[in-house]
Amino acid sequence: VFALLTDEQQMLRAAAASVASDVAIRNPRDLESRDPELAWTRLAQAGLLDLRSGPDAMAPEASGVEVMIVAEELGAVLAPVPYLGPAVMATELLRLTGSLGAWSGGGTAKRVSVLLRADLSAIATYDAVDEALVFDSRGVDRVLCVSRADGHGELLCLDHAELEPLDSADPTRGIARIVEAGEPDAVAVPPGALDRWLAQSLVAVSADLIGTMRGALAGVVEYARTRVQFGVPIGSFQAVQHLCAEAHVAIQATRSLTQYAAWAVDELDAGPALLAARAAKANASRVARPVCETVMQVYGGIGQTWENISHFYLRRALLDRQLLGDEDAQFDAIADVRLA
Amino acid sequence: MDYRDTAEEARFRSGLRSWLAASIPPGWEDVTDARERAAIDKRWQQALYRAGYMGMSWPPEYGGRGLSPVYDAILVEEMSLADAPPFSVNVNYLGRAMWTHGTEEQKRRFLPMILSGDAMWCQGFSEPEAGSDLGSLRTRAVLDGGEWVVNGRKLWTSRSPTADWCLLLARTEPDVAKHEGISCLLLSMDTPGVEARPVYLSNGEPATGEVYFDGARVPADQLLGARGDGWKIALTALAVERGPGDVGYISKYQRSLRELEALTRSGRSSADPELRRRLAAAYVRGEAMRLTYLEQLSSRAVGHPTGPEGSVAKLLWAEAEQTLNQVAMDLFGADSLTGREPRWLSQYLYSRASSVYGGTAQIQKNILARRVLRLPR
Repeated sequence: VFALLTDEQQMLRAAAASVASDVAIRNPRDLESRDPELAWTRLAQAGLLDLRSGPDAMAPEASGVEVMIVAEELGAVLAPVPYLGPAVMATELLRLTGSLGAWSGGGTAKRVSVLLRADLSAIATYDAVDEALVFDSRGVDRVLCVSRADGHGELLCLDHAELEPLDSADPTRGIARIVEAGEPDAVAVPPGALDRWLAQSLVAVSADLIGTMRGALAGVVEYARTRVQFGVPIGSFQAVQHLCAEAHVAIQATRSLTQYAAWAVDELDAGPALLAARAAKANASRVARPVCETVMQVYGGIGQTWENISHFYLRRALLDRQLLGDEDAQFDAIADVRLA
Repeated sequence: MDYRDTAEEARFRSGLRSWLAASIPPGWEDVTDARERAAIDKRWQQALYRAGYMGMSWPPEYGGRGLSPVYDAILVEEMSLADAPPFSVNVNYLGRAMWTHGTEEQKRRFLPMILSGDAMWCQGFSEPEAGSDLGSLRTRAVLDGGEWVVNGRKLWTSRSPTADWCLLLARTEPDVAKHEGISCLLLSMDTPGVEARPVYLSNGEPATGEVYFDGARVPADQLLGARGDGWKIALTALAVERGPGDVGYISKYQRSLRELEALTRSGRSSADPELRRRLAAAYVRGEAMRLTYLEQLSSRAVGHPTGPEGSVAKLLWAEAEQTLNQVAMDLFGADSLTGREPRWLSQYLYSRASSVYGGTAQIQKNILARRVLRLPR
């Protein structure tokens, strides 16, 4: 047993954190002034967008752990980059169905993302394309969905789809609906591939949530050290300390669950890998909203204003929480396995 | 990164598993008398010691095997899975306090005896007026003709009614700052003037104890470390290896959860969708506890013992244990209140102590806030 990151993985974390700090959203004005494609370009240059889309589709160069590391660092700085949708969810679907070369031009030549059900809880089926939503839709050329929800059908690729952006609660990532779809291309989904895909995707969303909570908490802890009321820093009050400590525990528990699930993506069978991923996402979804709400509370009045960064963390957490199923959806699925 | 056993770990685990299957004393769980249980526990630890299963990560010069802490974890895990009697959980942190602070002579005298189970120990730390604020303890020890004379009272001294020895904190320097005036004594529980009594917890079980000291005399060479080192020694003991995995709690939790799940599957208890979700949440909490522990073990194995960050595991433990027992009470409904399921009522009541013993949840949060998050005093 060795449940720690390797030296190489630590180095990847440092590298990802360095790229992430270049594209960080530190205050709401950054979102307006920033070239929306900058983050994508920087990540592509650093080789962080195609960790698992190398030439050998059956043996990805990077494991789920590397994907987790990058996702967490991007979440921590609210990176406005379509990483989860195109670089993780779509890439993993293409890899598992052997269609990377055909549909994305290999690597990132074409930006592909996924079509989710209207409640964001699962990948959409083609027959419900009218209500479905494109997640991480910014700059997307193509969209993936499935013919059947049970994993026995085909993966469908919608090219030349006309997209209409919607008002995403989270301004760092785009959501769109499909106005005009056209006839899709199709490729068979191998048995078990959709479970494997879901495991990797849940891990990446959980990691983004960990980063989001971590970044939010780090900011407010720093604030509590310097904000003075009653002649002392508010961080010296036990009521404030306990709120922050509870948030820290929630984040650490989610991190332990997610790291194991990230390892399991490539090392365990699809069933146990998916169970581990659901456990991670269940906890991440359960704690993310209270943690980000706590952060707004500790900031006090300034935390309720548009100019304060904390509502951007909360917004990102709210969207992630819903993605591929909130905690209740995960608990129901876990109960189906454990109580079968 | 690898969450699986290495080849050697797997070999050790399978050897241990066969040994346990052949060696566990039958019917031990049905013994309710505290003294009889203590005798069983003692014989069991002696058997583990003879078979080479005690002190896996202790230095070889003091009777250990010098292996990675992962082996301690495998031992505790397999013992719990096999329903073996637990060995005294204080062995590892007593040992650590002893080999970190003891003289060579003390180590040679006491360490093999701690490990072999020939002497069972209790830990005289808390007092009626010194709970969370341990540093304000009042039990006094005064040097008189080459002996320390001890007067005072200790509380929450688990296993004290059956223990042979006590690692005792007492105030020896009344005139210095409170944390600097404490020393650590090694006291035989046979000493005249020592009286241990059981303390009954809310479930009616004598799960802990109290000890009265009335002029008890301790030879001067049974001072551990120097005069005034007591607080430092207490921190060594408290910081080391008291996570939910170290004391076998994780496997116990998983057993309880599996029992509740089996009950639900068999349809014997009502499992509405809400209770099914809560059982799933209990599974997730158990996994969080298990995986946090594996990370701590791995850190220890590369020479980074758990520091204040260990409070995370303690808080996860208390939350997991308390919510699991709430789910159990709700699954059994009235049966847990009308004498049909006494074990679950007892376990539920005992679970309330898990956010108090070993440092209250509030103290753990203070530690995390100040020492991990670096919030100001």
